[in-house]
Amino acid sequence: MNQNPYQPINGEITDIIDESPTIKSFVVVTEQPFKFETGQFVELTLPGEGEAPFTPSSSPGDTEKMEITIMKAGRVTAMLHDCKEGQKVGIRGPFGNGYPVDDFVGKEVYIVGGGVGLAPIRSLFLTLVDRIKDFKSVVCRYGARTPDDLIYKKTLFGSWQKIKGVDIKLTVDEANGQWKDNVGVVTTILSAKDVNIKNAVAVVCGPPIMMKFATFKLLEFGFEPKDIYLSMEKNMSCGIGKCGHCMLGKYYVCKDGPVFTYEQVKQYPKIWD
Amino acid sequence: METLFINDLKPLLDAVAKQMDLYVPKKSGDYYVFSRYDKESDKGFEFNNIRMCTPIKEFLLPVCELAAMTPGPFEAKDIKPFAVFGLKDCDLRSIAILDTVFAEEEFKDPFYTARRDKMFIISSDCSDPAESCLCNIFDGRPFAESGFDLNVSKVADGFIVEAGSQNGEDFVKKYSQLFTSVPKAVMAERDQSRAQAQKQLQENNAELAFDRSVKDIVEGSWESEVFDAEAKNCIECQACTRICPTCHCFYLYDTKQKDYFAKMKMWDSCMRMAYAAVAGGANPNKVLGDRLKHRLMHKFVYFVDRYGTNMCVGCGRCVDAEAGGIDLREVLKKLSQEQKGEGKKKARVAK
Repeated sequence: MNQNPYQPINGEITDIIDESPTIKSFVVVTEQPFKFETGQFVELTLPGEGEAPFTPSSSPGDTEKMEITIMKAGRVTAMLHDCKEGQKVGIRGPFGNGYPVDDFVGKEVYIVGGGVGLAPIRSLFLTLVDRIKDFKSVVCRYGARTPDDLIYKKTLFGSWQKIKGVDIKLTVDEANGQWKDNVGVVTTILSAKDVNIKNAVAVVCGPPIMMKFATFKLLEFGFEPKDIYLSMEKNMSCGIGKCGHCMLGKYYVCKDGPVFTYEQVKQYPKIWD
Repeated sequence: METLFINDLKPLLDAVAKQMDLYVPKKSGDYYVFSRYDKESDKGFEFNNIRMCTPIKEFLLPVCELAAMTPGPFEAKDIKPFAVFGLKDCDLRSIAILDTVFAEEEFKDPFYTARRDKMFIISSDCSDPAESCLCNIFDGRPFAESGFDLNVSKVADGFIVEAGSQNGEDFVKKYSQLFTSVPKAVMAERDQSRAQAQKQLQENNAELAFDRSVKDIVEGSWESEVFDAEAKNCIECQACTRICPTCHCFYLYDTKQKDYFAKMKMWDSCMRMAYAAVAGGANPNKVLGDRLKHRLMHKFVYFVDRYGTNMCVGCGRCVDAEAGGIDLREVLKKLSQEQKGEGKKKARVAK
């Protein structure tokens, strides 16, 4: 980490990929090497305008560049969506604790994602498939609002489906056009038979309301709270547990998270708000 | 550590001011505020019997400061030594609390620690605690025994000066000609004055001698309606958090300057509506009462769970500054009574 934790390192957007009408992926190359662990987040600065927290969606193994998938949701993200290739940006971090991938070894990894929540999960997914033999299986259940809102379409319907040891199922809240798959929120494609719960961990990332109901469903299936990993979304700003905006009970999401087990946070009210 | 006697404070202040910028108490209306000491015209300096109105954090965490530059890098440097006179035990304890956050291993704030390292602290006894002072409820006292470089106790014929650090020791050695040894009777006078101030605090705050810890009281109040009721008159002026010596939330924002882009760091307040809001609109604390609850939970529950100490020193500044009539003492009393079943209100139905 920099001597000054508020000082971003310089970077540039080298490519922009349209993922959905509201979501784009930005490829960022930094002047200095930048390493992160899957699930950790960065603060992306648009110089002179503002910064916002994002979990990179690329594999930590790719040290040449980093991909950040961003939904147009507020002031800074709207400005980022208007940016072109060549835009100078700043990166601070990486911050917090990511997914404890080594603890997943020998287990089935049950991934439940919704909407842009697939971004951190994609980074985890790529990390897992890099060493797929270490895990019993990777089972992925992903939902989006409409077929147009599904992101990473090319790989989601293509190469990822073909990986041995990987099982992917998709759903949309509202179907249109050619959609032949399941219609319904993501919890409708979760089944207690998807994985052997005794030897599985679950990873949940998505909009708060989806995380809430997915978590309750997983508990119903018999998952232990300590085996459910949540990527919490709060207003992370400083990244080092000082500025206070991302407090979740005694935790700072930026420093102690953003990945928590349900066991850690279940005592606090309003974790889904 | 060395304890000495001095008749008049001016030579002491002049000696400090010769070495570094010195800030001293000055009366402003009913309150004391910090003022830069000028030895040519020391008019306005007044020994403060109680804490200053403004919190000491403004010397360590300025209201607004440059935190980073693009092109960078920008580092904490050129911070000059400075001294502050007239801090009280509550102020010293608030600095210790800020230290646990900003000088935390691995997660240091370089701007805070640079200033902290250059700060020379001269504390003094509170001979006349204010009506709003409640330090005794939070393990505080109206006099300091540690955390200072020099401590000054006012007695009838002068001042007792005590060194409390290596820097303080070095100072009294260097200026030994200013001091004499302490007459024995004067020490007894100090003890008596300290005991009197403690008694005054105990009497003022008799109703706050709870049968449980403040942590237990606040932690047990998740469902309480007291927060909503108390926040009814809150006008969101945020004075309570700005004047609090331990509240330290800040906001990072970016600006365009002529030749560079700046990342600024500015005080923020958890009583502000959009404080915890995320892009997309979710906000766990939309309601004022919930923000008041979060503020108290942070001070008395989360901070204790994390760092082992309350994030409140009982200085009572929030009581004085409060524009909406939320009195921390009353809130704690109501929560305590509610739990005891006296005037217990119907628990709010869990949402």
